[in-house]
Amino acid sequence: MTESKIPVGKRARLSVYFNKRLAQYYWERLQKNKLSLAGMGFIIFLMLLGIFGPFFTQDPTYSDFNLANIPPLGFSRQESVYDIKTNEFITTVIEGRPDHPLGTDSKGRDMLAMLISGARISLLVGLIATGIAVFIGVVIGVLSAYLGGWVDNVLMRFTDIMMTFPFFLLLVLIVFLFGPSLAIIVLVIGLTGWTGAARLIRSEALSLRTRDFITASRALGASDGRIMFNHLIPNVASLIIVMSTLSIPGVIMSEAALSFIGLGDPMRTSWGTILNAGQHTLDTAWWVAVEPGIMLFLTVLSFNFFGDGLRDAFDPQASI
Amino acid sequence: MSSAILEVENLNTWFYTRRGIVKAVNGMNYSLYAGECLCLVGESGCGKSVSALSLLRLFDSPPGKIVQGRVLYNGTDLVACSPDRLRAVRGKDIAMVFQNAQSALNPVFTVGDQMMEQIKAHDGLDRNDVLTKAKMLLEEMRIPGAARALKMYPHQMSGGMKQRAMIAMSLSCDPKILIADEPTTSVDVTIRAQIMHILKDLKARRNMSIIFITHDLSLVSEIGDRAAVVYAGKVVETATVTNIMNNPSHPYTSGLISCLPDISSGMKRLPSIPGNTPNPLNMPAGCPFHPRCSKAMEICRRVEPGLVHIADDHTVACHLYGPGAGGSR
Amino acid sequence: MRNYLVKRILYSIIIAWGILTVTFILLRVGPSSPVDRYILNIAARGQDIESVKQAIEARYGLDKPIYQQYFDYMGNLLQGNWGWSFSSSVPVMDLIGSHWIYSFQLILLSTIVAILLGIGLGILSAVKQNTRFDYAASIFSFIGISIPGFWLGLMLIMVFGVHLGWFKTYYDTSYPIWSLENLRQLILPVITLSIGELAGYVRYTRSSMLDNMRKEFVTTARAKGLPERVVIGKHVLSNAMLPLVTIIMFDLGSVVFGGAYLTEIVFGIPGLGQVSFNAIFANDYAVVVAVTLIGTFLVLFINLATDILYTYIDPRIRYD
Repeated sequence: MTESKIPVGKRARLSVYFNKRLAQYYWERLQKNKLSLAGMGFIIFLMLLGIFGPFFTQDPTYSDFNLANIPPLGFSRQESVYDIKTNEFITTVIEGRPDHPLGTDSKGRDMLAMLISGARISLLVGLIATGIAVFIGVVIGVLSAYLGGWVDNVLMRFTDIMMTFPFFLLLVLIVFLFGPSLAIIVLVIGLTGWTGAARLIRSEALSLRTRDFITASRALGASDGRIMFNHLIPNVASLIIVMSTLSIPGVIMSEAALSFIGLGDPMRTSWGTILNAGQHTLDTAWWVAVEPGIMLFLTVLSFNFFGDGLRDAFDPQASI
Repeated sequence: MSSAILEVENLNTWFYTRRGIVKAVNGMNYSLYAGECLCLVGESGCGKSVSALSLLRLFDSPPGKIVQGRVLYNGTDLVACSPDRLRAVRGKDIAMVFQNAQSALNPVFTVGDQMMEQIKAHDGLDRNDVLTKAKMLLEEMRIPGAARALKMYPHQMSGGMKQRAMIAMSLSCDPKILIADEPTTSVDVTIRAQIMHILKDLKARRNMSIIFITHDLSLVSEIGDRAAVVYAGKVVETATVTNIMNNPSHPYTSGLISCLPDISSGMKRLPSIPGNTPNPLNMPAGCPFHPRCSKAMEICRRVEPGLVHIADDHTVACHLYGPGAGGSR
Repeated sequence: MRNYLVKRILYSIIIAWGILTVTFILLRVGPSSPVDRYILNIAARGQDIESVKQAIEARYGLDKPIYQQYFDYMGNLLQGNWGWSFSSSVPVMDLIGSHWIYSFQLILLSTIVAILLGIGLGILSAVKQNTRFDYAASIFSFIGISIPGFWLGLMLIMVFGVHLGWFKTYYDTSYPIWSLENLRQLILPVITLSIGELAGYVRYTRSSMLDNMRKEFVTTARAKGLPERVVIGKHVLSNAMLPLVTIIMFDLGSVVFGGAYLTEIVFGIPGLGQVSFNAIFANDYAVVVAVTLIGTFLVLFINLATDILYTYIDPRIRYD
């Protein structure tokens, strides 16, 4: 048995973080919320799309002006061209084509390829930036609650300062100062988006700190670190999961908004970039603005449904 | 004692929850006579509080619903009457005092405001009269500085003061019946004595009828005229308090009384009734008490006993006293 | 009460200092200094870079030691000297003075609409819990929370501006602010900006109402024989509104300012968002910083106002 090689202490600690029966119980509760399952399904679909999609589609930046503004399959568009020889308008009907099932934009780039690239960017930014933000938030929240005193005071005042900045305006300023690249955008969202998490975790940890089982383990001589990692953090774990899931939509929307106003990474195609291009062709090629918006909307909706379902599943008081 | 001013007949209040039907009140019967204090006694979760809320249809609905029964007050069936008629009775004829004044008073309005809105809702008094009346009531409750207390918010009052303000509020329309739902459970011993004193005083001076709900038998002997012992949503024994105390007939009642500490007997350990109150989702067949009853017989497992008169003003629901059941304990 | 006020104001001043300091650090840490930004502009005009660079450094005190720069920066901002807009050739403060009203009207109207409709729908939803109306309202609020505002704006322009022709597709500044025409052309922007807020308020109001409807004092109010109108409208509502005040005020900073920024860009409304947006692409450093700082100070002021407002609406805080 490989399992027996894990030292006993380690095993006990792991079991604090993962309990199979509890996971089973939460999963059963989650399954009762159909919207939440649908959200989870869409998120998985999107992940598969983001990971494997680019291998099957053409280069999203490849443009062919001969194939510009092709409508999606099943739609058609009329184009009038003034012919000098005959001195009249010639109207041609352009139909959707199977090699560009979702159409092309005004530069002849394939919409499907761009949307898949956008899915990859959105998820990447959403997951990594949220991960950074929640990590910082948990560290600051737990330290603040557990150490108290001047540490708490300094950390919370700093949190207050960061919280006062309107989130999007701060993003705009920093990306403007540091230059728009994907890494910068992810880092900036991560490094500025932790304030809510820090406060939430702090207040949760504060109320846990006075509970009897913590007092008991302190009375038994447990070290600060042990109490933090074996008692405090496992007990806020469900809160962390729910909070992360529910903050992903905001992060994805922020990245899309930055790209939309032209502060996105110019080397990458994200949904916001496509929307930016699409706003100028609302009259000729509506699909360029419609398609990425629908993807963005469905993604955000899915995370909201999924996060809501998780919250109810973890909340013993919620009736499902 | 004169005729009954409130009659509860076969009252059934059920809660339709996801896990099943909770029959919180399951065929409750009792009468309240003018000027008396009737105590509803039972363990927590036996349905005594829900039965009180049911009199004025104050439980949450849904999931709660009165599926059967009547509550007759002055010839009106409060179960079937219109919401407007019921509202006219609430607070005016029948008033309630709740267990926890801290949560029963609205935190964002002053005590005076909360008293006066009730008076205004029922009596067409003008503002000055309402104010005078509210002040008088607080004085009657011996709240110091009544004029100032009117302008106080609940959180500015001590626990005992809040409870007394709550009683004052319930009296603001001179009700005929006062329902006191464990009014002393959430306060400490000295305040409990004050509250009990006030209630006894009220009964004597205002000739009010009181339904006093409690799990504490010592309070019953202190204030009650008659008592109804409630088990699993129904009354199992009614009698005068003296009879209940000296001559408990239902095995559950005798169990409750034997649990009272008695200084003279010098017992080392208090006896207790074995087992727990039955799961309301899964009531035992027959007499609901039979799994815990030391005198249980064959018939108790199958047939639910009805209320039987065993003496003047003493009824009991137990097969020990049923027709053809030997008759003696 | 007075002590509390003084304490809150002092505290806000400390936060304001923190905000300015954080901004100063960002400006100094950023890879491109303000000089580089100016140089880019000047280089574009073909002037000699080195001499101009030294002149600018001396002019803006960038050759001084860092602490001196810090004090100068603070001093200038406090004196209302917020720098010079390179692209518009006016002081930044003048630029803001002539454009703030466009942002203000948009935010004010949207917030009023969101509060009235959101709270109204939320109350109805709670009172009619588990009816068709309630379900419809909760579906609406999920959609409203998840829809990206700037995309919704594009879609509204496309449908009502381009296709139906009911509205102009751009904002017309020739109408006076206080005119019906101006109000009319704000309809789509206000829908765009308020939808997210509105949806959020519906959810919060509903759950806050339901929480309070289960409270014991509501049973007391019914037991007193008060009409249902008073029970809900007075006893439940007054308690349900308390947490909402914080949420509404918090939303202004976290959601509304960012949303207004994007809405202005989508609809071409010449408010501060648009000003900042234009400044980004003109490398107009001082303007971008100023807009972010103004937004932040507004949030700070709103937070302070909320705290003071609370002492009036929640009697439990007043004497603490």
